Formats: sequence, C-alpha cells, structure tokens
Amino acid sequence: MEKRNARLTYSLIVIVSLLTVAPVIMLIIGSFSNSLHSFGNFTLKKYVAVYTDPMLIDILGNTAAFVLGSALFATVLAIFLAYLNNRTDIPFKFLFKVVSVMPMMIPHVLFGVSWALLLNPTNGILNMLLMRLFTLSKAPFNIYTIPGMIVVEGLLDLPVAYLIISPAMGSFDATLEESSRVFKAGPLKTFFRITLPVLRPAIMASFILCIVRALASFAVPSVLGMPGRIYVLSTFIYRVVSMSLIADYGKAAAIGMSILVISISLIYVYRYYTRASDKFVTVSSRGFKPTVVELRKGRIPLFIIVLFISALLILLPVLVLFYTSLIPYVMEPGIKAFKAMSWDNWRIVIKDPISVRSLKNSLFLGVVGATVGSFLSVLVAYVIVKAKTKAAGFLESISFLSFSFPGIVIGIGFMWYFVRTPLYGTIWALFFGYIATYLPYGIRPMTSAFIQIHGSLEESSLVCGASFATTLRRIVLPLLVPGMVSAWILLATMFFRELSISVVLSRPGTETLAVQILRFSEDGQWGKLSALGLIMIFVSTAMVLVVNALGAYFKPGEVREKKSVWTKGEAKLKAAV
Amino acid sequence: MRKTLLILSVLLVTTTMLFGAGQADKPEQTGPSKVSMYANITAIEPILERYKGESGVEVEYTRLSTARYVSTILTEVEANKLVADVVQGPLSILEILREYDVLSNYKAKAAEGYPDWAKRDGTYLFGIEYVGLIYNKDLVSAAEAPKSYMDLTDPKWKGHIVMPDPATHATTIGWLVGLREHVFKSDAEWYRFLEGLAKNEPMLVASFSPTGAPLASGEKKIGVSMPKYIVTQAPAPLDYAKISPMLGSPRAIAITKNAPHKKDAEAFLEFWLGASAASQLATDVGEYVLAPGVYPPIPGIAETEVIPIRELTDEEIQKWGNEFGKIFALK
Repeated sequence: MEKRNARLTYSLIVIVSLLTVAPVIMLIIGSFSNSLHSFGNFTLKKYVAVYTDPMLIDILGNTAAFVLGSALFATVLAIFLAYLNNRTDIPFKFLFKVVSVMPMMIPHVLFGVSWALLLNPTNGILNMLLMRLFTLSKAPFNIYTIPGMIVVEGLLDLPVAYLIISPAMGSFDATLEESSRVFKAGPLKTFFRITLPVLRPAIMASFILCIVRALASFAVPSVLGMPGRIYVLSTFIYRVVSMSLIADYGKAAAIGMSILVISISLIYVYRYYTRASDKFVTVSSRGFKPTVVELRKGRIPLFIIVLFISALLILLPVLVLFYTSLIPYVMEPGIKAFKAMSWDNWRIVIKDPISVRSLKNSLFLGVVGATVGSFLSVLVAYVIVKAKTKAAGFLESISFLSFSFPGIVIGIGFMWYFVRTPLYGTIWALFFGYIATYLPYGIRPMTSAFIQIHGSLEESSLVCGASFATTLRRIVLPLLVPGMVSAWILLATMFFRELSISVVLSRPGTETLAVQILRFSEDGQWGKLSALGLIMIFVSTAMVLVVNALGAYFKPGEVREKKSVWTKGEAKLKAAV
Repeated sequence: MRKTLLILSVLLVTTTMLFGAGQADKPEQTGPSKVSMYANITAIEPILERYKGESGVEVEYTRLSTARYVSTILTEVEANKLVADVVQGPLSILEILREYDVLSNYKAKAAEGYPDWAKRDGTYLFGIEYVGLIYNKDLVSAAEAPKSYMDLTDPKWKGHIVMPDPATHATTIGWLVGLREHVFKSDAEWYRFLEGLAKNEPMLVASFSPTGAPLASGEKKIGVSMPKYIVTQAPAPLDYAKISPMLGSPRAIAITKNAPHKKDAEAFLEFWLGASAASQLATDVGEYVLAPGVYPPIPGIAETEVIPIRELTDEEIQKWGNEFGKIFALK
C-alpha cells in the first residue's frame, strides 16, 4: 500500500507541478530580472524598491486587519450556518444552501458596487433610509472603511468557508456529543469542548483558505478600499504596476512572493495542527449517525437571524442588480427611476453575440473544468491525507502555489508560461490556468472529507480482496459525496466567474462572462453589466441546484434514514468483493 | 490508478499539442478576411460591426488596459506570437512600441487631411482622450459649475468630487502635468490648485471608468472625468464645465511590422482614419476625433479648445505620481 501511495504521490507531483510550478517559476525569474519584459540580467533591485516603500508599513497593517477580519467573519458565520443547517431542527433548511452559495455566483466587482450603492455615506440607499427613519444628521455607515471591506469580503468568502465546514458538520459522529452530555456537560460546553475541536481540520482549512483568498482579493479593496484611500497588498501591487507605462510585473511578483511565503507557511501550520488525523475521524466502520438538536424556543429567533443574513447576502445585492438592470443609468430609486425602467439592457445583452459566446465559453470552463479539477482534487486530497509523507506535504504545498498569488500577478505568470507553449491564445490556456490556480478549492473540502473517513473501511475492503480502484470507487467515493459536491460547486462557480486569469489570457473567441462584464464596466454600461451578472447568477444557481440534487441522490445519508449506515457499509463491502 | 494517471497525463500533453498546434502557426497565417486589433479604446464594437458589414472583413478586437498593454505585446513579440495586425493606444505607448521596432511605417491616404503633428512615421493620431470637469446637472446648475480649473478648489466641493487616483493613473498624471504646462502660469499657482483639490478630499478611484456611476447617481456632484460619458451614459444627467482649453492624451493607431494580415490591416486603417468612421466614433462613442469638422454630439464642444498633452516619459510619470501621491496623501 505504501509503495502504491508513493507512486501515486510522485505521479501527482509531476502533474500538479506542470500546472502550478511553471508560472510561479516564471514570476520568480521575472522578479529577479532587470528587464521589464524579458528574463535575464538578474538583480535584487525590484525587491529593494518595493520593500523599502514608505507606504508599506501602513499597507501591511491594513492588510492584516482586512485579511484576518474577513477570514474570521466568514468562518464564524459559516460555523453558525453549518451548525444550524446540519445539526438542528431549524425550519426551511433549503435557505441555507441558497444563502451559503449565492455570493459565489455574484461577480465580486458587482457585489462591491452593490454595497457601495447601498451604504456609501453620501446617498447610499440604506443610509438614506436609516437617516430618514431615525432622523439622523449623518449617514450611520460608511462602506469605504476597513470594517466595511471586512464585512463585504467576509460575505464573499462565506461560501468557501461554508462548503468546507458544512460537509464535516454533516458527517459528524453525534455519539461524541452524547458522551459529553452523559457526563453532564451542557450544550454550549459540548459545542466548544467537543464539536469545535473535532471539526478543527475543517475550521482551520476554511480559515486558512479565506485568509489566502482575502490576501489575493482585488475587487473589494479596489471598489471599496481605494475610494476610502485604504490600500492593501493587492491594491499596492496595482499601484506599483500602474505607475509606469511599461508595467513592471517583476515588482508585482516581488510583492507576491511575500504573500506566497505567508500562504505556504499557513499550509504548514495547518498540517501541524491536523497531523494526528485519527483524532478527527468521525466516519469509521462503527458507523456514524448525526443527531438533530432541538432548538425549542430558539427555533424562530434563530430562523429570523438566518433570514436577516439571507437578506444581506442575497436579497439586497440581487435586488440592487435587478433594479440597475432596468434603468438606463445609475440613479437613486424614485419616481424618475420608475418611469425610466425598461427591459432594454436585457434585450441588448441577450442579442449581443460576444455576451452569448462568453456565456458558452464560461459554461464549458465551469462544467468540464470543474469536473476535471474535482477528479484531480480527489486524488491529491487522498495522497495528502492518507500518505502523510514529506512528499505528500510537498504536493499539498505546490497545489497552493498559483492560488497563493494575487490574481493580478498570477495571470501574468500564466501568460509568460503559456506564451512558450502552443496553448497560448486558446481556450485550453484558460482551462488549465483555472485548474492550476483554483485547485485548493477542490482539495480543501476533499481533505476535510477524507480526514473524517477511517482507514479501517478501506482496509476491510482490501482484506476482502477488492482492488484499490474498486475500494476507492465503491467504498471511499460514495462516502465522499458531500465533499465532492462541495468541491465541484466551489470550482464550477469560481471558474464560471473567474476574471484575473481570463482578463490576461482570453482573446477574441475565448471571451468569458467575467471579461465581458469587465468590458461593460469599463464602458460604464452598468445596466447591461447587471443584466449579464444576473444571467450569470441564474445559470450558476441552476448548475449548483442540479449538482446538489445529484449529490443528495448519491449521498449515503439519504439512505441512512431508512437503513443504518452499518448495514449500508456492510452491503457496500459485500458488493465490492 | 496508475492507468488513470497515465491517461490524465497523456490527455494533458495531447490536448496541449492538438489544440495549441493551430495557434502556434497563427502569426504566419495570411487569411484573407480578418484583422486582429489590440486596443484600449472602449465601446467601439458598433464601428467594427459596420466595417464587417461593408467590407466582409472581421475585426477581432482584443481589449488591453494601459497597464497590460506594453508587457503583453512585448511578451508576445519575444515569443514570436504577436497576432495583432493593428494596435491602438495612447501615443506614448505606441511610441514605446516603435522604439522596440514593433510598428510599420505604413503611409495612410486617409490621414492626408490630418494636421502634421498627428502623423508620425506610420503612427497616426486620430483623437484625443479628452478630460474635463463633469458634473451632475440635477445637483449642480450651469451657473454653479466651475468657470476655471481653480474653481474646483472652492471648499463648497469638499467631499463632492470623484477623480482617478493621481498617484497611479497615468492619464490623470499626464492631465495634471498638462494643466501646469497649458493652464497655470507658475508652479506656485499650480501647487495651490493641487493642494486645494486635495483639501477637498476627492474620492479617488482606479481610472476614469468608475467615475461615471457616482456622478450619474449623484453620489458625487462633480468629477475629473471624460466628457464622452455624456454620450455613452445618456440620458444620465451629466454635463461638463465649459472651461477652455480641455486637455487629453492623444489616441494613436498603427499597423504592426509583421502583421499577419497586412493588406486587410491597411484597408482597415484607411477606414478607421476616414471621415465616416471618425464620425461614428464621435457620434456613438463620444470621442473627440481629429478628422476635420467632426465633433461629438455634446453642446458647445465644437467651440471648446481641446489640445493634446505632451507624452510624459516613464520617469516623469513615476516622479509626478509619487509627488501627487504625497499631496493627495493616503490616510
């Protein structure tokens, strides 16, 4: 088994390296090259220039506050929602699935702009409403601040956190909690002493992924940070790149290196704290049965809180988008706006050949790319969790390489890489670039899921004579369905609205939705942009619903209600052999 | 499992070879009816559509932002993968490309009526990316609008201005330097303007594009922005302060030296510089064009003097960007 795992590990290292290491090597060489557009004449001057910039200290402070704040906000909110959804009798559970994944579908720039329209201090719709309601002389909220940025980025990162934590919460072995209660621990004590520690891998994975995401985020810092003159590392990179007609991406890469070091360090921290993975196993051959916690009096108040979050996450931004799609230009709601409403923007977008082509391209990249990416993620996650060797650690680190760079930089890394291959200018450059960059979105939920499955299940299958592939296909994969669904949704929705790489690599014929949305934004066509954004949200939602339905159909838990998991596991073992 | 991995690796390599193969030969293709155009001017699709309708030649339009322009083209040139037949961008960028010997010296007949300064060895200036003080006319009356650039320093505009970040946005840096060279008589007066503007705490955004929405919605009353938004965002209640001169970066166009579709590119350039395309550029896109007698449909613009600003060198952009960064200091 060890020999087979080693072969698998090294094969995956080759594949993942091909995808992720090459663009990063290009960036490293670029950061040490004297020239602005070719490699050679190595120098340290770009590092000296960016790391001695007097603005850097302030920027690092802003970045720390923004990144940690948004990661914490997203993770805590995800734990809250995942717990309510998976472990309690709260009504209308379907809301959670919608709430948790909806921000994935909204292009981040649009989400930021929607919040600016709602909470800008001059004429933000919500601010004006609150000022009228409470006769305030000044707007109560200013979205162009670090707290404003934290909330918006946190909401955007919530799906990532939720989709990692929720499957782990869903396959939680409730007997652990029951044991705690037997020893007279109250629900809160049980939650903090049993539930949270057992879920540590998923919570840490979520927190780390959110940190890395926020470090690389550009949309929120540029739409909400720059107007408030709050710069973070990603906008600092933009500033460095913009300060010259021949953009010095080497300098940008030099800044990106520190983000890379932070990200890789975080992965090692994560590995250190989850190294004893047996502690976190909740699905073993003993069977597992999550029980439902009765909320009793708290049921309705908690449901109202979820409704409130839903309104914040979905209703308000989507309503703002829908409203903007009906008006000829951005205007305050009122009689004038109502009179000017029409479906013109929708008609134009639906008839626009580039918009239609970009929708087709994005659909292909979303569906096919996510499927291939999920398959690769399963294999990588398996090695990371089961092999536990140094090589597996190395594989995990390189899978994060491209993802750890801010999008504005990694896109250039891929351009420098792909221009040396026949892929340049084709849809396949986007296809492989997406998979390489967003592989951690597939790997994280899968590792969290793998960690919770005890090795005894596989060993039993192998002992009974099933091959490794059969064991994987008939025992492991079915138990991984929730994680796989999460991984696919994360990848597909990410690919569907990806901008950073697309804007660099797409060419006529390979336009994507996000690139077309960016075009509308550059043209100031907010109505068309909103209409196309809503089409994007609608199609993504349909994709997610279909995959969720498929996941529910194949999920062992659905049968669990009728049959015990032990019976099902036994049946699977029999079938496997 | 090994089989699966083997298949995956083979797929990765073969798809790379198969689907990329055609692209590798792209620069050598000489298809009869296609032009590839790299441009940073926005909203020009209707003009390209019309050209396709009239000539049957499809123009593939790749939009490149100023920040990515030179890097992308030079990277492609180095790898022998530049597919662009025609490049359009700010003059300063095309000058850099000419230094790297990327551009041809094609002499366009359609540019014969253009002023001499608009013709530079195969690079043609066809318009000016003009910048002005744009205001929301629902919130600001024509009488209240600034009558001079210095009026923008009036404290009544405090918190009501939007403009691109003068520390990072090259066109805005050029515009501010242009004000010193064409409007303000002394450095002292110019600095008074800059400091007064900074004191009014303008909302700084990444470029001109994000200035349109806050002006149209009334979030901000006035901004350093582009008068073309009056056309492209119509019927938004936008107007411009009638201040002469208005300044802007020259927009230029040229054919690449090794254009894969040379003949088609030449025909397209003739069309682009001709009166009918210029007229459409002015009417539909609101651009200020150099074709004689053609103006955008903005009242009063024909009487306003619009002049091109000097192309700043890279060193100047960085120097002034740093200087403006200090004046408009970050919190």
